[in-house]
Amino acid sequence: MRLLIAIVAGVVLAVGASVSVVTLAAPSPSPVDKPLFNYGTR
Amino acid sequence: MRNRVWHVVWPYAVGGLLGVLALGPALAPGFTLAYDMVFVPEPVFLPSTFGLTGTLPRAVPSDAAVALLGTVLPGALVQKLILLSLFLIACGGAAALLDGRPAVVRLAAAVFYAWNPFVAERLLLGQWALLLGYAGLPWAVRAALDPRGLRWVWAFVPAAAGGFMAMIITALTVLPVAALGPGGRRALARVSLACVVFALPWLVPSLVRQAQVPSDAAGVAAFAARADTPLGGLGSLFTLSGVWNAEVVPPGLDPVLPSVLRLLVAVAAVAAFAVARPGGMHLPARAGLAVASAAGLVIASAGLTGPGRAVLVWLIDLWPGFAVVRDAQQYVAPLALLTALGVGGLAGLLAGSSRRARVPAGVLGVAAPLLLLPGLVWGAWGRLAAVDYPRDFERVREIVAADREQGDVLLLPWESYRAYAWNGGRSSLDPLPRYLTRHVVWNDAVRVASQAGDLVIGTEDPRARALDSLIRSAAPLAGPLRAAGFRFVVLDGDPREWNRFQSRLAGAAKVYSGPHAALYALSWKDAQVSRAP
Repeated sequence: MRLLIAIVAGVVLAVGASVSVVTLAAPSPSPVDKPLFNYGTR
Repeated sequence: MRNRVWHVVWPYAVGGLLGVLALGPALAPGFTLAYDMVFVPEPVFLPSTFGLTGTLPRAVPSDAAVALLGTVLPGALVQKLILLSLFLIACGGAAALLDGRPAVVRLAAAVFYAWNPFVAERLLLGQWALLLGYAGLPWAVRAALDPRGLRWVWAFVPAAAGGFMAMIITALTVLPVAALGPGGRRALARVSLACVVFALPWLVPSLVRQAQVPSDAAGVAAFAARADTPLGGLGSLFTLSGVWNAEVVPPGLDPVLPSVLRLLVAVAAVAAFAVARPGGMHLPARAGLAVASAAGLVIASAGLTGPGRAVLVWLIDLWPGFAVVRDAQQYVAPLALLTALGVGGLAGLLAGSSRRARVPAGVLGVAAPLLLLPGLVWGAWGRLAAVDYPRDFERVREIVAADREQGDVLLLPWESYRAYAWNGGRSSLDPLPRYLTRHVVWNDAVRVASQAGDLVIGTEDPRARALDSLIRSAAPLAGPLRAAGFRFVVLDGDPREWNRFQSRLAGAAKVYSGPHAALYALSWKDAQVSRAP
């Protein structure tokens, strides 16, 4: 039971905080425009 | 009885929960196409599935495993099951490796092992096959510590299915663990044999073809690890990030505060790995994992400096097989396992301080990895998402499958990656070589943008190399391609890119054209093709 409480509480806390952290750090999460044929960018 | 079931099941439940949280929109109906990750509705067995087309067998036997599963399940479901299984196997393995320790130790280690920058960056890069090996790593380490009977062999199956990089990071980890573990030379011999046997599907075609495949040292500059946090190159690698591709760095990874916190956790975890004794026992495989992690970190950091890159280029010139160290960040995988076990040790130290500390330690063990890497949540905030293939792809597939003339398919434009509008502009490997039922010849060179301009890692496929100058010229294509054994030319991607090829396909019949794909037949019985269902 204690394990279950820890898992649920941990996930809820972390997801809640994650939303605020990422919203602050990366306000536009949509993919950036990239060239048509590139594998990636260094 | 119920407690016993819960004891066995909870690591997988946690893995499933993390998988849903990480994959999010990628679990919706459709296919997730991201860089190297390409799944198709009806995968088929082709010569390329087995590495028989003259290129390096990078997708052997992972493509065969997908095709096999695709015979009984829809392709989209196969993809989702594989992606979810990464988290289940990783969480279950880390918890199993710590069997006998307190639940809070196992929980913290399992969550960290499944949720860290290495997993995030490689998942966003679409390297599910590598991650299969990563997920199976704790199982393989557990087997290397006690390789008795035959059941332990199953621990190598995820890496074996993943293919060459999955198996290489597994071998890098389990060989020192076996050599320095309680089984000694006997265990080392057994584990070495397992590594070799499970590597045979890709090792044999690699060794047979190695003289024919060019080794392009440009890959060293393109794929070397890089600093993707304020911690520098080595600090990024030590905190399990540092992938070559800036586009797959999860959102929120690089601010100073979370980077420093990740570094502090990593240092504390490594210290805890060495000294913690949760449940009265040292953490497992300490000597072997320390050696594997140190070796992995040295390999991973080799490309961070000019002299290191020069050594890698020299090695690849000496023997093309050394190209496996080009994309070096992969080699921090054993360090990820060591750090995860250390995080478990930290949680154990916290929980052991008082009886009341157990639940907070468990909460922290679950929450901390997620808080330190919030950017993986919900498909890294939409970077992973499921989309439907255009109807044009299915039509082209039907026509090619129904045609009875012999001959291969040439894929144009002459590039390997696409940023399809219908896939939200996300880069992905062109799926048509796996989508169609015939062998597709395409330019397997890859293009990486850098501050110094585009780095192009050369074509490996011998047939593509032979055609390269023709396709890059302004000469007519139909006749030479027909003579070279081609039956079809397929064009996909942005239609504005098709014009320069369509004008050169005089003599070929356009048998299908849509907004997302066009198909040309090269021989005289084209009327039959156009009537295909």
